[in-house]
Amino acid sequence: MSLIPFRTKRATGMEPGSLATLADFRNEMNRLFEGFFSRPLQTPSWFETVEPGRWLPAIDMSETDRQICVRAELPGIEPKDVDVSVSEDRLVIAGEKKCEKEESGEGWTHRESHSGSFSRAIPLPEAVDPAKVTARYDKGVLTVELTKSPTSTSRKVPVLAGSP
Amino acid sequence: MATETQTELTYRPNVDICDRGAEVLIVADVPGATPDAIDVSFDDGVLSVHAPVPARTLPGRSLRQEYGIGAYRRSFKLGEGFDASLISAECRRGVLEIHVPRLAAVRPRKIAVRTA
Repeated sequence: MSLIPFRTKRATGMEPGSLATLADFRNEMNRLFEGFFSRPLQTPSWFETVEPGRWLPAIDMSETDRQICVRAELPGIEPKDVDVSVSEDRLVIAGEKKCEKEESGEGWTHRESHSGSFSRAIPLPEAVDPAKVTARYDKGVLTVELTKSPTSTSRKVPVLAGSP
Repeated sequence: MATETQTELTYRPNVDICDRGAEVLIVADVPGATPDAIDVSFDDGVLSVHAPVPARTLPGRSLRQEYGIGAYRRSFKLGEGFDASLISAECRRGVLEIHVPRLAAVRPRKIAVRTA
């Protein structure tokens, strides 16, 4: 006789709804850590390059049939201190958030914001036309709009039904 | 880290805090926040900041989302000795600066040492 009232899987089986409950728990844990792990954590994706010691601005990226749009959170930056460069398959956002004289003095008891130089090379899903790129900075967010190259080899492949 | 209130998803902004003696300066990163809609209040020694951010409006299909969109919300317990009527705040380039002056009576002052 077992001293521990431990129910085995064989005894209870997988009750209906238990998988949904597990999914709910997983989703709740994902939501709990969303704000923390959604940021780059100074660790780029495998296809990005970053120099050691630099911080990475967080980005959003989306695409339409004609455009790719990238937004980067860059609070406290002077537009002239941001350098945006584009090649056919890569967007590079680099610059420096300068620490003002009074910010480098004494009295700062708490520091959480990033400062200093930053550089992030972002691979693009399709080729773009480097001559048709716009960038604007508003309320601490840099928005870069890139026009896809007309010679892009990417195309939609229709999915046919049935066997070949 | 994101937290969810009953009505909105909120995030804690990164802040830098400087004690300058005559005042406390709080600098918060609030990229994307609408300056006109930012609410800064001081009650019973607690400074509270609420900065709404408009919903994400990127065109087309999302490829990557590395930051959440939600209001920035954070509170700071400063205690007594501050002049609430002189608190000022300014938001530029996604950075909110809040100046919280101390009451004149409690401001640190240098005391001259007289020699005999």
